[in-house]
Amino acid sequence: LKALVFHAEKCIGCKLCHLACSAQNEGEFNPRLARLKITSSYNREGLFVKGQTCDLCLACVEACPEDAIIEKNGRLAFIADLCTDCGICVDICPHQVIVKKTKGVGVCVQCQSCANWCPTEALTFEEVKK
Amino acid sequence: MTYTNKILRVNLTSGQSTTEPLNKDWAREYLGGKGLSIKYLYEELKPGIDPLSAENKLILMTGPTAGTIVPNSGKLAIAAKSPATGTILDCSIGGHFSPELKFAGYDAVIIEGKAKDPVFLYIEDEKVELLSAADLWGKGAHETEHLLADQLGDVITLAIGQAGENLLPMACISSELYRQAGRGGIGAVMGSKNLKAVSVRGTGGIKIADIRKFSAAMNKIKREDTMTDDNMWTYTDGTPMIVDLSHSTGILPTRNFQEGTFDQFENINSDAVKSALKAKKACFACPLACSNYVKKGKTEVEGPEYETLALCGSNCGIGDLEAVIEFNRLCDDHCLDTISTGNVVAFAMELTEKGIHDFGIRFGDIEKFLTMPTMIATKQGTGAELAMGVKKMAAKYGGKDFAMEVKGLEIPGYEPRGSWAMGLAYATSDRGACHMRAWPVAVEAFGDVDPFTSEGKAELVIGMQDDNSVKFSAIFCDCWAISNERMAEILSMLLEREVTAAELTTIGERIYNLAHLFNEREGFDRKDDNLPARIHNEKLTTGATEGKLLPKAEYEKMLTEYYKLRGWDENGKITAEKKKALNL
Repeated sequence: LKALVFHAEKCIGCKLCHLACSAQNEGEFNPRLARLKITSSYNREGLFVKGQTCDLCLACVEACPEDAIIEKNGRLAFIADLCTDCGICVDICPHQVIVKKTKGVGVCVQCQSCANWCPTEALTFEEVKK
Repeated sequence: MTYTNKILRVNLTSGQSTTEPLNKDWAREYLGGKGLSIKYLYEELKPGIDPLSAENKLILMTGPTAGTIVPNSGKLAIAAKSPATGTILDCSIGGHFSPELKFAGYDAVIIEGKAKDPVFLYIEDEKVELLSAADLWGKGAHETEHLLADQLGDVITLAIGQAGENLLPMACISSELYRQAGRGGIGAVMGSKNLKAVSVRGTGGIKIADIRKFSAAMNKIKREDTMTDDNMWTYTDGTPMIVDLSHSTGILPTRNFQEGTFDQFENINSDAVKSALKAKKACFACPLACSNYVKKGKTEVEGPEYETLALCGSNCGIGDLEAVIEFNRLCDDHCLDTISTGNVVAFAMELTEKGIHDFGIRFGDIEKFLTMPTMIATKQGTGAELAMGVKKMAAKYGGKDFAMEVKGLEIPGYEPRGSWAMGLAYATSDRGACHMRAWPVAVEAFGDVDPFTSEGKAELVIGMQDDNSVKFSAIFCDCWAISNERMAEILSMLLEREVTAAELTTIGERIYNLAHLFNEREGFDRKDDNLPARIHNEKLTTGATEGKLLPKAEYEKMLTEYYKLRGWDENGKITAEKKKALNL
């Protein structure tokens, strides 16, 4: 199974991945709607870099009571008609990369827009443990 | 269309905030950023006001590229009348504030008046609040940002340190600890308004037509025009790369511009900085990541940039990278502009060594050097004298001939005796000695153009000033050597109308002329467009510029030609014909 992998040591914190994701999947430039979370900022201890991406752990698929999130050909798919906006998937995602929207949720479909935009190969699409 | 068409106006005297539509005619003629903020200031400020009075205004201005996936579009313009020079002042700051403001729904914030007690401005989409900064006042910018993050969460903040609170002419505004709107005392304008910080959180987005197609086009441009050999030096090295170039071409300011080479340059060059590198860091939407996050010994900083290495390193006779990093960190925390601060310290060193006045500090004295940022920012002891800036120090103590400033703004890291057009660029810059309005060293000292002739230099400087005016208005970062054609192509897509390269050239000329008109209205003319006497009268003694100076007659020749090509009269006043042609 292949999925997105984040390499913190290469990340420059430009947020182009967030913009690429929201443009591709939500039709707007809005980093808060991205289906990944890359942080690069300073706290009192110095530079703090952290990346959260969907690694296809499928916790959301297992948790959804309505089968509105399924795994198909190694990718998540969201079936809007089945979603009741219960929010269980948003809460259960260990990486906090499911975006709650006014109606329904946004899940990472491994479209790789983020990796295609990343200027430093800090995001790659590769085999993940399953 | 990527304007939000909404301006937030905050009056600190009344505590009220209002929104108003963006002036679309002005946006068409001045784009955003530098140009549009100067237009608002020109129309709204009364001539002759005290820059540190409630009558001055502080404008935070984004551009049409802000918040989008356009490479290198992350910068913000911050503008006001300058307390250091009395001229117009627009600064450029990187980081993430500009897009965040756009996501909150605003093209710009105009801050007026003066708060009775220290406050900070908190913007979260439509919610705008002025909150007490009583607990923040007196603190450095770094702790201020940390405390605001504790209180507000994931906001982006602009803050001032002690230098801004104490109204220093070299006080800057800081963001994300290590990004600065550096020059001309922009931080003192905030301090004079009792405004400690501005924090913003924006949750909205920006929509444009065919966003997927647009993104694909931008990704191609990013690969083929941004991340190219012309620009990737900013990633591999960043600005410290310029140390070797400046030293080898004899234009590295050393010991208060007494020499153009530094015997310890290898201690503070790019290789030295790389040896301390921990991570590369970028502004929003920037693939070039020019910043170097470094740690050495007990200190760390995002930097030091070339200007800091030159003005606080070689120019102070300091060949110790750890000392320069620590000085840089202290300046950032107190919000001191490192260009001006390096200059005042070097000037005090020369005054002391020449026996003109004893400031108790000499070239290369690391221990004393490291006490200076705190002493200057808090005006302790001799720090209170240095806090005046080089021009006022010279008026009080002497040394005017080697007071390295233009119009009250200290000179950046390029020796004009080894790059004559750079001298003209400093003298004709709209905010005093500045290397961001035009950077002709790239083609003179570092390129093929003869640095030691006045021939063709006026035209060279004018072209660069106009081009940069457009870049800083659109906004594109100067790290990307982008052409007007490329800018026109991108802006056409964002603004959903045909923008041509020729139109951008005219806009650039209009912006530079409006900035000049602002200064003209404040009483500036030819007598102010000058360089320190050292540049004309003292020959450099080492390296590639040994024996060189910029003769006064050659300088005047360049200046006369510059006015003529600009369409200004012999005294530097814009002619009626030129005003009409540019719709000023």
